[in-house]
Amino acid sequence: MPDATTLYLILPEITLAVFGMVILAVDLIWRERSRAALAWLTVLGFVIALATALLGWGWNMALFAQMYVVDTFAIFFKLLAAIAGILVTLVSLDYLRDRTPYRGEFLALFTFAVLAMMMMASSASLLMIYLSIEFLSYMSYLLTGFLREDKKSNEAAIKYFLYGAITSALMLYGLSLLYGISGSLNFADITATFAARNDVPTRIVALVSTALVIAGLGFKISLVPFHQWAPDTYEGAPTPVTAFLSVGPKAVGFAVLLRVLLTALPAFKNEWIALLTVISVLTMTLGNLVALRQKNVKRLLAYSSIAQAGYILIGLVSVNLNGASPFSGLNGVLIYLFAYLFTNLGAFTCVIAIENATGAVEIDDYKGLVKRAPFIAALFVIFFLSLAGIPPTAGFIGKFFVFGAALREGFLVLAAIGVINSVISVFYYFSVVRAAFFEAGKDTAPIRLAPPITFSLVVSAALVLVMAVYPEPFFNLAAWSMGMFGVAK
Amino acid sequence: MEIIVFYLFAAIAVIAALGVVGLRNPVYAALCLAVVFVSFAGLYVLLSAPFIAVAQVMIYAGAILILFVFVIMLLSPPVDQGEGALKWQKPLALGFVGALAVQLVLVLALAVLPSARGSLTPEVIAQRGDVQVVGAALFSDYLLPFEMTSLLLLVAIVGVIVLAKKR
Repeated sequence: MPDATTLYLILPEITLAVFGMVILAVDLIWRERSRAALAWLTVLGFVIALATALLGWGWNMALFAQMYVVDTFAIFFKLLAAIAGILVTLVSLDYLRDRTPYRGEFLALFTFAVLAMMMMASSASLLMIYLSIEFLSYMSYLLTGFLREDKKSNEAAIKYFLYGAITSALMLYGLSLLYGISGSLNFADITATFAARNDVPTRIVALVSTALVIAGLGFKISLVPFHQWAPDTYEGAPTPVTAFLSVGPKAVGFAVLLRVLLTALPAFKNEWIALLTVISVLTMTLGNLVALRQKNVKRLLAYSSIAQAGYILIGLVSVNLNGASPFSGLNGVLIYLFAYLFTNLGAFTCVIAIENATGAVEIDDYKGLVKRAPFIAALFVIFFLSLAGIPPTAGFIGKFFVFGAALREGFLVLAAIGVINSVISVFYYFSVVRAAFFEAGKDTAPIRLAPPITFSLVVSAALVLVMAVYPEPFFNLAAWSMGMFGVAK
Repeated sequence: MEIIVFYLFAAIAVIAALGVVGLRNPVYAALCLAVVFVSFAGLYVLLSAPFIAVAQVMIYAGAILILFVFVIMLLSPPVDQGEGALKWQKPLALGFVGALAVQLVLVLALAVLPSARGSLTPEVIAQRGDVQVVGAALFSDYLLPFEMTSLLLLVAIVGVIVLAKKR
């Protein structure tokens, strides 16, 4: 029986599980009458989860036989998960209204997806990692294919599922090898095993399993060469789900990757740094080059999000927790993810607002947008500036810390490739802006904004700008969040 | 004696597994899979894990396989004649299988996996009973993954109904 402390520390998870079930039940009982209320109930659940996640700040405890840790690192990602949950729920309100009769189930499944994200952030055993990743994956497949009548949504879900099943099998094989070597599911025992045994066969098996685990998580983060699902899935999924997939699983995917590599496999740091450096360069370059040719805004943002994962990986490659430098790599990853969350959700919210009003998602349809919706057009500029990493936006701060860490570690070529890629990305981001501002469109009817969407747009844009102008609280948040169980700062 | 029984079960499992992959009629493949599961159950008994053996028969051979057969019958797919298969599929599959086999042989030959012993040795199991030990572990140390799995199954069912329900 878990004691009171344990229950206190997993309050956010309990909250979301209860809310998910309540949403299902209320939807069953009230049916039609409850539709608007359910969305607000979901938002309430995320707000309570956000508040209760903060209660665990500073505890740093391992629960459930060391399988589940509540440390500041995990809480950082739980905050990200809850915020993403609130914003995505708000923007999905209008989008779903005419598209599916199963909005109650959508909200419940989405709540459970956020719950799975929180559990991924806290997992510290091979078993919990596998289960929570599968949990999030199943929810993602279901949400992707949620528009049953829409062929593209079905295609997106099937592609996502097939890729997901294969990479998850690969990762499970890697995890089983790790378990076979160490005879334990817990990271501390695995680290101890590799500290004690350093013979060549052990190292070979460990490296194979490291590569397999990176493959499994690389799928969630959409790293090249595990990215092929991303463009089709992002294009076909309901756009709020696309927005969620582009930030949520990606962020916690990085959380798990960081935790596994830093706390279970530190003995192989040189090897995984070499592997991830190559993957990072491929991911950035391929994402950006292919994005240049896209005509559909959702596909463009899909390739952009692949490229962004490449930049974040630079921070992971440059991790160095020794010394008091402000460029530890780890804080760069956290700051970047925080900035990326609001920026990408904001950009997708703009896409959703336009899609709701006109149904259009091609770049050509954005011509003359500035006349029809000056507010959205202006925000698009802010979010794209941030994605490209141009000051004064949050994206610049993220890139600054990630590239700074690379320079500190002496990865000059890697940092240079990152900067060149950022320059390339400006071209495609601004092809959208050019269409919106400088080309005349056929349609001139003004676009109306629903209040929940306006709210999340304003919040995202405000945070993107505030982070750039007054970044200190965000630095501190990232610095405090670096406390990972078992890893010295 | 034990080794003879082991080879018997192992041989049946391997032959039946080849049948799963090789037979073109999906119903035959499913039935071969049942044979694989049952012979695995035999292997578990040899490993002095009777609980897992029973669970294997009940859950895999019983529930999951019946589900497979139901799906096959409901969809009644045509017997695969090999049309529409991609040309490079077979060589690729053979390549993967070869790599996996080489790796397995290497791992076994080098004896890298130390097969560490946990706290639940055959002596403990003989003393406390197999089911009790599994139950105690499931509801104490592994409580969280257990509860999480039940939640996952529930939500997966809801999701499948939403996707598959007739309108």
